[in-house]
Amino acid sequence: MGFLEIKDLKVHFPIRAGLFNRVVGHVKAVDGVSFTIEEGKTYGLVGESGSGKTTTGRAIIGLNDVTSGSITYEGKSALGKNKSILNTHKDVQMIFQDPYSSLNPKKRVLDIIAEPLRNYENLSKQEVRRRVEELLDKVGLSPESIFKYPHEFSGGQRQRIGVARAIALKPKLIIADEPVSALDVSVQAQVLNFMQDLQKELNLTYLFIGHDLGVIKHLCDNIAIMYKGRYVEQGTKADIFNNPQHIYTKRLIAAIPDIEPANRAKQLKYRQEVQAEYEHASDEYFDNEGLAYGLQPISDTHLVALPEKG
Amino acid sequence: MEMRNENIDIPKPIKSPSTIKIIWRELVRDKLALVSLIFLVLITAFVYGIALFLDKSEIVTVDLFAINEPPGGEFILGTDYGGRDIFGQLIIGTRNSLSVAILVTLMTGVIGVVYGLVSGYIGGTVDNIMMRILDFFLILPFLMIVIVFVAIVPKYTVFSFSLIMTAFLWMGIARMIRSKALQEKELDYAQASRTLGSSNLKVMFRQVLPNISSLIIVTMTLNLAANIGLESGLSFLGFGFPESTPSLGTLLGYARNPQTLEFRWWIWVPAAVLILVLMLSVNNVGQALKRATDARQRRG
Repeated sequence: MGFLEIKDLKVHFPIRAGLFNRVVGHVKAVDGVSFTIEEGKTYGLVGESGSGKTTTGRAIIGLNDVTSGSITYEGKSALGKNKSILNTHKDVQMIFQDPYSSLNPKKRVLDIIAEPLRNYENLSKQEVRRRVEELLDKVGLSPESIFKYPHEFSGGQRQRIGVARAIALKPKLIIADEPVSALDVSVQAQVLNFMQDLQKELNLTYLFIGHDLGVIKHLCDNIAIMYKGRYVEQGTKADIFNNPQHIYTKRLIAAIPDIEPANRAKQLKYRQEVQAEYEHASDEYFDNEGLAYGLQPISDTHLVALPEKG
Repeated sequence: MEMRNENIDIPKPIKSPSTIKIIWRELVRDKLALVSLIFLVLITAFVYGIALFLDKSEIVTVDLFAINEPPGGEFILGTDYGGRDIFGQLIIGTRNSLSVAILVTLMTGVIGVVYGLVSGYIGGTVDNIMMRILDFFLILPFLMIVIVFVAIVPKYTVFSFSLIMTAFLWMGIARMIRSKALQEKELDYAQASRTLGSSNLKVMFRQVLPNISSLIIVTMTLNLAANIGLESGLSFLGFGFPESTPSLGTLLGYARNPQTLEFRWWIWVPAAVLILVLMLSVNNVGQALKRATDARQRRG
């Protein structure tokens, strides 16, 4: 079984309006999401903007308040604000989307990377410095950079600093919230490959949040597709890419560009098929409110949001 | 790894200038601000230095044989209606006025920054309550309460007067810091710091505070100018220091006597000029600092 279990997670944000700031409704950013995370694997969470994928990640690490549902970490609840949550924080870390704003511009690299070490480990100044130099070495930056400020680095280098900070406490799970979407393509590959190397070296588990299916396909063992706060399909990489069942997944996969000219006609045909299916059968996949149904298993690993039979 | 090689090959990049360097460059470029800064440093050093050697009790002792003497002779700047040396009073007065202004600026700064930061960072109900308390202080009639305090407090010192002023002047900076804290706490670096296990206090004072430091420095410099004026204004009206504790305001206050105003200019003109020049200088420096914090306005 997995070490992190999420059951029926809901994150609703109140909409306030009117003279007295009354709550007039809720934005259901995450609306009943369940999944399990096992050690050493890479999970992909895909969805369009506003589908709630980032909110899910932030709820797991405690940056968003959870409306209902449970997050269990090694059998213990990881919700609320008690001491055990702090220990969860030690094992669950996050890499942020924007390498430009996620590093404090007034802090030196040494202080940025040493922050988690100073919070959790009682180390002397020399030990902290040695650890930071080790971490910098691990992410491929020269140890002399410890006295530089973040703005003296390029985007890719900054994201490496972000990664170094995230792995400083030797966490088990790293939530990577679109870690490369702010970088240009050549640097993206560099950072992704290096994250994979780190995974092997440190036996990390990744929860990879993104909208770039190419990146997700490259990295992840398990993929979940999210739409309007709910899962529409969940399965292994092969399940999702070779046997997509939900119309939303099919459309997503049909939209992946293929640069091979020989496949152009085939790709176009597939796209038109999917479009035709969407036009006449899209109602079957979504309920009255346009939301996805509950997940039904169609194989051991593959879950799809389909209406219950009968 | 290839990145490591890259770091060795590339020559050391030109370091971007530090904040202090930017401020210095701005001051050098703006000659008026530079002259103002030099003037301020000189006058502060002069006033605090000379005041060490002056006997305050001798200066404020009434001497009936030397009433209203014009400048020159025994007294460089003449004497007032009590035969007290104007030059000595000017030195000690400037020192007192500057001390009050600096103390008030520092105290309002500390209170305002802490209050605003806590209020803005915690937010929600706490923010709401703290802001209503601040609003309460804001609507109190400042002048009236100071008059009452002057009547109640029997013995005035620089420190007690600063405390009274501080009690009514910390709100502006608190409000500004709060609005900035509201913005900063939503930024990724503050959020990241929370996921790394830093307590709220640590995020507030170690992460957010350094990022609003330039704003604090500028505001406090500009406040310093305002506080010099405020102290002088209160003393002029007679609600500041008594005559036994000279300040720029009390010297100016002699001008309320029409005789002094018309015929004995040496009593009040030097103080008036000094107030004007001091406030202008602090303001010039403050404006230069303000420009230094905003890259689009920089001249240097």
